[in-house]
Amino acid sequence: MEEYYILCEDSPEGIFSGIYDAYLLKKPHERIHLMVKEEDNYRLFANYLTCKPDGEKACKVARTIRKQFGLEAYLAIFRAVSSAKEDKAEAVYKTVVTGLSMKNPVKVLENLKDPFVHRVFEIARRVGNETHGHVEFLRFRELRSGLLYAQIAPQNDVLAFIVPHFADRLPLENFIIHDKGRNLFAVHPARQDWYLYSGTEETELLIGEAAKDFSEGEEKYSELFTAFFHTIEIKQRKNYELQRNMLPLKYRKYMTEFIYGNKGL
Amino acid sequence: MERELTQITEIVPREYGEVQVGESALAYGAGPINTAGPVIQNRQEMTLLQKLEILSDAAKYDVSCSSSGVGRQGDGTGIGNTAAAGICHSFAGDGRCISLLKILFTNECIYDCKYCINRKSNDVPRASFTPDEVCELTIQFYRRNYIEGLFLSSGIIHSPTYTMELIYQAIYKLRTVYRFQGYIHVKAIPGADPELIQRIGLLADRMSVNLELPTAEGLQRLAPNKHRKNILTPMRQIQQGITQNKEEIVVYKHASQFVPAGQSTQMIVGATPESDYQIMMVAENLYRKFDLKRVYYSAFVSVNEDKDLPALPGGPPLLREHRLYQADWLLRFYGFEAGELLSEQKPNFNILLDPKADWALRHLEQFPVEINRADYRTILRVPGIGVKSAQRIVKARRNGNLTFEDLRKIGVVLKRALYFITCNGRMMYPTKIEEDYITRNLLAGKEKLPFDKDGMTYRQLSLFDDTMERNWREAVGG
Ligand code: SF4
Repeated sequence: MEEYYILCEDSPEGIFSGIYDAYLLKKPHERIHLMVKEEDNYRLFANYLTCKPDGEKACKVARTIRKQFGLEAYLAIFRAVSSAKEDKAEAVYKTVVTGLSMKNPVKVLENLKDPFVHRVFEIARRVGNETHGHVEFLRFRELRSGLLYAQIAPQNDVLAFIVPHFADRLPLENFIIHDKGRNLFAVHPARQDWYLYSGTEETELLIGEAAKDFSEGEEKYSELFTAFFHTIEIKQRKNYELQRNMLPLKYRKYMTEFIYGNKGL
Repeated sequence: MERELTQITEIVPREYGEVQVGESALAYGAGPINTAGPVIQNRQEMTLLQKLEILSDAAKYDVSCSSSGVGRQGDGTGIGNTAAAGICHSFAGDGRCISLLKILFTNECIYDCKYCINRKSNDVPRASFTPDEVCELTIQFYRRNYIEGLFLSSGIIHSPTYTMELIYQAIYKLRTVYRFQGYIHVKAIPGADPELIQRIGLLADRMSVNLELPTAEGLQRLAPNKHRKNILTPMRQIQQGITQNKEEIVVYKHASQFVPAGQSTQMIVGATPESDYQIMMVAENLYRKFDLKRVYYSAFVSVNEDKDLPALPGGPPLLREHRLYQADWLLRFYGFEAGELLSEQKPNFNILLDPKADWALRHLEQFPVEINRADYRTILRVPGIGVKSAQRIVKARRNGNLTFEDLRKIGVVLKRALYFITCNGRMMYPTKIEEDYITRNLLAGKEKLPFDKDGMTYRQLSLFDDTMERNWREAVGG
């Protein structure tokens, strides 16, 4: 029995293109596998294919999923695709296959008995949690120009999930959210739609400089909030362990109330 | 990498999944601002920082900090939106969620409640904000994503009406001049002019009136200036306002919303001698008769020396507070009634077991239940199964019979549930269905408490705000 391994780019576009190519093969789906990273052990008798990311193919797949599975499931699948887990491409691909074979594809993610669906559910939930964590804990700082600038370093590629929330919330602000690890920027000009921008080394440097030049208000409100953060604690109920469970250390690196007064701004 | 991202953005969903879409336009139906209204003179000039420290310190004993209950998108003309599930923005050193800028407008007070740090007879530094200062702090904190909105309470200066007028000024300005569309929670002061409460209700998302103590007798003893009747009057007014408003909105789509995130209250636990049973009966009545969204329980923190207050050498009664929240959860989401959990004969919760396990052990005749057939309500009552898991079970079993392995994947805490369930007619292990045996086993798997069971030090526990419900569900279910 011949097996096919399709190597796709680790991006939503890449994985959706991979799914498109898998369907193009017209072979039984059990014998096709999607991966985002090359395997160490090459299997004998297996066919290795490489999929070139293709916007048009990806859009077609995205549209199909959205239409057949509905918005909620699409968002979950998109979260899964944005995960840092390497088996995500296979899980999403097989979930799409399962869903499309169901009488009622909208219910695809309820089918938790299916191991691939369960995997998608699981990694989507993790990405969802990380997204939520950044919506909670991200901090903007005001630069001299009035622009609000936030840095994050998420494990999963959650930037695109975070922005709509802030775009709705701060429509009149110019803001930038910067994923440091991926050097990816979400740019929101006041009163306009936001977009993603993939930075170069130059942008990184430019931003790095600009992002140290804070407005006057920044110092004042950082101090005020940090003071509030400390007075609001009930000392008789001190519980650092609970605090750590609720607010993991990894987020604190960029949080005003934890850095103000320590390392300065 | 320098690739164009335009194609990617095409397939990036523009929707933020968790936020629910609500009324997009915020209508402010309140009357004009009364500029001739009261203005407080601060006793001496203070910096904003000093004021904030005093007035947040004075506000921190109020438990509620939740920002949940209403999902509303921004209308594009101002700043802010709200998320139905609420959002925490930080966690203080006591592990409690920080969601709102929780402050008093003033900590001046003409009353002398014995449990309160701001009581008239205390010699503490006093301060008052101006409406503009409240607006400035809210907006500047909000822009930086420090907070979800504002929680504004107050000591009583001159009179309840005078104080509410000041609060109204601040909120009105925040909504209209600053176009703030984020979350606002306002504490209603009993005895204030109902007209003012009505007007504030059209600007605020949530309002609350503190019950303070579970019974009228307790109130009389510790808060001599307050009366149960005066507290229930505005609570009723807000309830009726909400009901009436819902009807108006059906008729006129764009009618202003009145307290759309609902009403809450809180009571202090452990300052007066009521039993858990009495407290739960009060809570149940509040939910049923006043349609409250939340009842908060606040373990008494001793801040004043007073012969009428209990000594509490072990610190605030945190475990007790924890049990009350667990039981409260069972009332609101698990279909339990207070009378099922406690009674005159058994008036207090079990220290060792959570209320759900405690109930199940006293009703072993109803177990085990078959996971593949039992109805949703029955499954909800199984220890180790939370609301989310129960919902998933009911959905997933349509695709075939579930096994124990499936349950584990779904999120059921099997080491607790296994004594109470069968899958396809079989129990997970051969086990005795016998109270002592199961109790011993449940206790062997240590309960995850959000604080240490060290009676001598003060430890504690989160607020159980709505955004923490995800952790909380697990604690109750598991
Ligand atoms: S009314 Fe009572 S509880 Fe409220 S601030 Fe005054 S003294 Fe404190």
